[in-house]
Parts: sequence; structure tokens; C-alpha cells
Amino acid sequence: MKLMRDVYIAGVGETKFGKHSVDYDVLGRAAALEAMRNSNINRPDVVQSAYVGNGMNGIVTGQTVFKDLGMCGRLPIINVESACSAGGMAVYSAIKDVATGVTDISLGVGCENHSLHMQSGTAFAPSMSDIETMHAAVMTGKYAMRANRYMHETGTTIEDLAAITVKNRRHATNNPNAWFKGAITIEEVVNSRMVAYPLTLQQCCGIADGAGAVVVCTKEMAAKLGVQKPVKVAGAVVQSGPYHNRPRDITGDDITETCAEQLYEESGIGPEDVNIVELHDAFTIAELLYYECLGLCKKGDGLKYLRDGDSTYGGKCVVSPRGGMLSYGHPIGASGAAQIAACVKQLRGECQGFQVDPIPRVAMTHVTGGGLSGTEHAACTMHMLVSAW
Amino acid sequence: MSDNKEAKKAPKPDITFFHPDLLIVPENGDPPYLQGYRCKSCGNLDFPKPTLCWNCWGEEFEIVPLSRTGVLYSVTDIFIGQAGMKTPYVFGYIDLPENLRVFAQMEGEPGSFKCDDKVELTIGPIRTNRDGLPITSYKFRKIAV
Ligand SMILES: [Zn+2]
Repeated sequence: MKLMRDVYIAGVGETKFGKHSVDYDVLGRAAALEAMRNSNINRPDVVQSAYVGNGMNGIVTGQTVFKDLGMCGRLPIINVESACSAGGMAVYSAIKDVATGVTDISLGVGCENHSLHMQSGTAFAPSMSDIETMHAAVMTGKYAMRANRYMHETGTTIEDLAAITVKNRRHATNNPNAWFKGAITIEEVVNSRMVAYPLTLQQCCGIADGAGAVVVCTKEMAAKLGVQKPVKVAGAVVQSGPYHNRPRDITGDDITETCAEQLYEESGIGPEDVNIVELHDAFTIAELLYYECLGLCKKGDGLKYLRDGDSTYGGKCVVSPRGGMLSYGHPIGASGAAQIAACVKQLRGECQGFQVDPIPRVAMTHVTGGGLSGTEHAACTMHMLVSAW
Repeated sequence: MSDNKEAKKAPKPDITFFHPDLLIVPENGDPPYLQGYRCKSCGNLDFPKPTLCWNCWGEEFEIVPLSRTGVLYSVTDIFIGQAGMKTPYVFGYIDLPENLRVFAQMEGEPGSFKCDDKVELTIGPIRTNRDGLPITSYKFRKIAV
């Protein structure tokens, strides 16, 4: 979107990710409160609008999150849904309010609890009115088809894909909010239970619960709140997935490519200037393809980029420094907001034990959302964040 | 009035065939085929049937039988599937010569398909309906060499 005035992130919050016995609203409230306290907000009447992303936990999710904070009745709360992009879109919407002058300070939250609401041992699928879902499509299978085609065209192996999990779990080793972390071998990844060939269990993000929250505001408001390290929103883009019923290259990702191009143009920042990225690594193959789609490397060079260590600590651009979805798991409504929270902490140098060195100045987030027949994804949300102190 | 009430109470039987607008199985035993929809205003050929032509919003279509054979663009074997689906099952994208891509389940053993295989249309069960009966739809299988 065209940012009509400058917008800054004042503070962020996130919960631990994993299985939680408390519901989405408790998680969302914890993240929101942390984000507000992190912004030096100590009263219920400061934030002027709130957006809450959630995928599957029901209706009036936002009001449920905020009613116990004494905030309901003081501000509009709008609930946002676009499957896995919901949390990212909630932050985008908050940014839009500030950018357009509707508010001076707004809050975007993403929260989700799957484990209390979902039958275990089944895979996510879009709604049954969808022609592909009727024919038993599942999201894992759609990514698996991208993997098989990529392997067919490039000679990439399952072991190569597994290296993405190994990298991201290593990144997460000292991250207190990550769920699956630490050393895992290529063999362990490859030999884990087959989900959708060639994707094994350890190549798929876990079905997790969690929340993330981001407070955005004007420069004046950030100063008024005494925010020491405001992060500038250099760009924010939401796109809907183009529909095709014709042959197309699924080793690319049209919506990600379009979104990235728009983000680079609007922010004036190119892929070579980005220091860290949190992207939609819901499955190993996705991260590999997105190196190319985001322009971090040339089309066809994704595997080389990984093997050369360009996407890990010490490389050209650290991809998934928090461990990505492969370590956090993926509570669909939460991930987009949590990615932004994690990036802000990196930019602020607050990630003891997994801090990117030198401290990054530019971070990018990317989250797609939802399956729909004829699209790669129904939605895509991206943000560009820059240190502003 | 009471008849109406009765009708409301008894649930309608769920479908056992998907989908008469898309798949034709001739009664004379001729091979089944998919129906394409060609826009009468702009000539765009689409599958499945669109509400309006995506190109020009034309509302009138000529029905065109589509090729029964195509190329398997990509494929996967599903081991953890939708709730209620028996696993493993196989699905893929089939590219037809009419420049159309169709998503379908494959008939054949998991592990027996690879990208760029030549495949042909067949029919078979794709899932079980609410009444526990199989739903028949289009599927593809390898062309015997
Ligand atoms: Zn037309």
C-alpha cells in the first residue's frame, strides 16, 4: 500500500509456540499485553483501533481477546481472517489506519489455538465447496506437488529438502519461543513418517498454538511514549492469489513474486539490502522456492543458495533466524504477526543466543494464506521493516 | 403443510456423482469425458464451468468435449489425508492439450507415477458421501504402454 505518512512499530509481543491448554484468547491477550507494555503503554485507553487475525477459533475473536483488558468499548476491534495470512493482515490493517490518519496508534494481533479445536491425525484442507478439496486435496499435497516438480526439473533430492529443516531447527536452538529446536540430522528428517511424498513429518510445520502482536504508531506517538528503538515500516503489501485453470510453473509462486516486487518498489529497498527474512516455510520446499521468488537468488539457484550457506547466520541474508515455522509450528492466524515480532526483536538486538551479527538493519516478512483451487495461495502478506534510531 | 414438514425432516440423500456439468459418462458404454465451456463472446475455453466468462463476463457457453488424455505435470502420494479419507491415495495435476490443467485423483498404486507420465481419463470413487456411499468422479490413470 502507498504509505501516506510514516508508520513505526512501537513494540511487539509473542507467546511461546507449541501445544497450549489455554485457548486463543488467552494467548492473544498475553501477546497483546506484552506488545503494549513493550511500547510503554500502561493504560487501556491508549490504542485507538485493533485488528485481530484468527483462522479457525470462531467468531468475535478480537473482542474476546480484549474484553478482559478493559479495552472493549474504547476502540473499534475488527476481526481478520485469511487462513495463514490472518495475523500478517491484522498488522497490515493496523498500519493502514495509522498511515491514512484514521488513528495515531493501532494494534495488530494474530492468535490461534489448534490443539483444543482440531481432530489430530488429519491434514488442513480448504472448504468442501472447493472443487479440489472435493477431490481430497490437502495443503501438504499441494506443496508436495511443487516439491516433486522442482525435484523433477532440478535434480534436487529429499536430502536437500531435509537440509532446510536442519538449518531452521539449528537457528531456533536458543530461541525460548520456538517449539521444535536443536540438532536434528538429515537422516532423521528423511526417515520420519511420510506425510505427502516427498514431504516427511519433519519437513512440515507442526500444528501449534500461539500468538504475536504488534503496536504501530506515528513518529510523534512513538516519541511521546518514549520508545527507544522505533522500527520503521518501510512497506506493507497484501495481495489476493490470481486464479488459473491453465498450465503454469508451480516451482515459482506468482503471488509471492508479485507481492515481493511491489514491496521492493514501494519501500525502495531491494532484495540485496535485506539482512533477515522470516518467510512462509510451512514446508521445506517452500523456503527453497521462496529464495528464488523473493529474488534473494536467481531462478534455479535456490539449492545453491542453501548449500553455500547464504541463508544462514554469516550468510548474505539470514532466512528464518527465529527458526521459521519449521521450528515454531504454524498456528495459522498467529504466524504472520509473530514473524514481525521476531524480526523487530532481531533489529533491536534483543535475541540473546540467536542474535544475527552484525545486528540487522533491514528485515522482511512473508506469509501466504489459504488454499483455493486454481491458486497457489488465496492471500499473501509482506512487510519491510527498518531500524529507525 | 404436514407433508412439507415431513420432507424437511428427512435429510436429502447426499450426491453419489460429481459433477453432471463437468463429467459425462455415456450410457452406451462410450468412454467418459470432461466438458469444457467455450465462451460464445470471446472464445475462452474453461474447465470447470465458470459462473461468468473470466475474460469478458460473457454468460453463454458452447459445451466442448475435452481430450481424454493428458500429461501428468506433478503428482504426490498422500499418507496423511483429509479427515475420513482412506490413505494412501494419489493426486496430481493433469495438463490437457486444450491448455487446461485439471486437479484429480489418480487411479493406480502410490509410487507408480512420475512427472510427465501420459495419463487418460477414467472414473472411480473419490470419497465417501455423508450417507457412507462412494462418490464417483473423474480420475486419471497411466496409459498402458
Ligand atoms: Zn468471454
